[in-house]
Amino acid sequence: MRPEQHLSQEASLFASASSLRRRLDWFNRLRWGAVAVLLAAVTVLGGFTIIPLPVGPTLWVAGILALVNLGYTVRNRLLPARAVRTEIRIVKLEMACDLVLLTVVLNLTGGVENPFMYLYVLHVVIAALLFKGREVFQITWLAIALFTGEVLGEHLGLLPHHHLLGASTLTHETRYIVAVLGSFWFVMLSGAYVGASIMRHNRTIRDELVVRQGELLKADVAMRDFFRFVAHEVKSPVNTARSAIEATLEIHGGEVAPGARDLLERARGRLDQATEMVKDLSDLTRSAVLRNELPAPVDLAAVAARALDEQREPAAATGQRLLLRAPTDGPIMVTTSEGAVAKILGNLVSNAVRYNRPGGPVTVTVARLADGARLEVADEGIGIAPEEQGRVFDEFYRTAAAQQRTSLGTGLGLPIVHRLVSELGGAVVLRSALGQGTTVTVDLPAAAPAGSGGGGSK
Amino acid sequence: MSERTVLVIDDDIDLVEIIRVTLEREKMKVIDAQNGERGFALAKERHPDLVLLDVMMGTIDEGFQVAYKLRGEPLTKDIPIIMMSAVGERTGFTFDKSRDADFLPVSEFLEKPVSPRKLVDMVRKHLPTTT
Repeated sequence: MRPEQHLSQEASLFASASSLRRRLDWFNRLRWGAVAVLLAAVTVLGGFTIIPLPVGPTLWVAGILALVNLGYTVRNRLLPARAVRTEIRIVKLEMACDLVLLTVVLNLTGGVENPFMYLYVLHVVIAALLFKGREVFQITWLAIALFTGEVLGEHLGLLPHHHLLGASTLTHETRYIVAVLGSFWFVMLSGAYVGASIMRHNRTIRDELVVRQGELLKADVAMRDFFRFVAHEVKSPVNTARSAIEATLEIHGGEVAPGARDLLERARGRLDQATEMVKDLSDLTRSAVLRNELPAPVDLAAVAARALDEQREPAAATGQRLLLRAPTDGPIMVTTSEGAVAKILGNLVSNAVRYNRPGGPVTVTVARLADGARLEVADEGIGIAPEEQGRVFDEFYRTAAAQQRTSLGTGLGLPIVHRLVSELGGAVVLRSALGQGTTVTVDLPAAAPAGSGGGGSK
Repeated sequence: MSERTVLVIDDDIDLVEIIRVTLEREKMKVIDAQNGERGFALAKERHPDLVLLDVMMGTIDEGFQVAYKLRGEPLTKDIPIIMMSAVGERTGFTFDKSRDADFLPVSEFLEKPVSPRKLVDMVRKHLPTTT
């Protein structure tokens, strides 16, 4: 398990200052929309006197909204985000300002006669998204107070009334006013309550996820530490047993019957295999290679040559030829982890040699790609059956043909290759035909992602 | 040539026996200790010609601590030390002989599993020549 994405601490609060900024950008766009709608309404409805709107004052309001929104946008784009708390306070101020302007527009466009009064609800929904419990109600109560004041002000003749529908007198109908305010208070308060509750629930889930992730990371570190301990504990007896067999063979080799000698040599081989397995497993469970190693320019052909060199002895034993194909117009460099590339090629070349046909070639090709480089390791060996090709990247899986060829082998080579290649931001593809050979292609990006991979231990 | 004494400090008594059999065949005398403290005391008391020292005993770096103590003690400071550690062991230290030789007070590193032939070669190489 490799948890890669860390939930930020701020996420447990509800929003980070920067994510808040992104949302505010969106609100600013909404506000430009409001300015546009207001201007269109004034021009079309008021200009053609479809509805008798007071054009002058409404244009003033649209102008003020445009001006403050320009201020918000500039602040958002140019000034760095401050602490979440400060940003929240600024958003609350912006929202209060919006509510005041909405109330002025409503007053200019018929007050209680205007069905767009429910735009207030939209503000409550937004407040529930951004703020926590009490703050949502602060915005809600402000909206209620503004709207109620506007409606009662007009009703009592303290504020001017602009007719929306001819000489309608709805604003002076007490029963209608009471009904409108009653439904308005109910919708606003229940909306705030439901919105805040849903968001509180979401935040609780989020908090829990952050805690769980912390626990998972800790468990992952503990597992790796435990593994390292186990690996050491297993390695010691295996090493000692191997040394005992070697000492026996060397000191008493002459006295031992050939059959017994053969058995001891087999035992030594299997102990070597166990050592390899522990080493491979610790490669596999070790955290990202690049965690402790900054990507640096790596000459791929040079690494490939070394990987081939290491296999010269076993290859020669079965008459195999080791070939390196690389372009002659200068080295192919990628910015990556040399250690990881060496391990990838080491595993692939030793696989190729181990499972090749006697006398067959093992070819390593290094080629340039538009955005990186390609490494290809090809043999003409036993190959992998199509139904097994999907499983060879699984830990400890060894194909039937491979097991038949040799009991030595850890079943961890390709999983390690797969893991390392993905840590380097590359891709690995295997093509194979039973009895004809296997070609493994590794594509590496021009630059490996720095600090890629996760895990908690070194 | 008088009989040479090699002190093996390792908590793995089986490995100690393997080393004993191997070195006794080369006409050397092997004495041993299973922890750093006892090993240090034995080195002072018996003044061996060479010390074979395991890195990881009770703690992951006990071997290094013993090496520093041996070097700091006038009676033992000139005894060559060969340090043994498992291949690819992550001890918290990553040491590179070529780079760290100046900082570590040991003559050589020997990787486990210990090959008898390599062990004999290395011990012979570092045994002080008799006068």
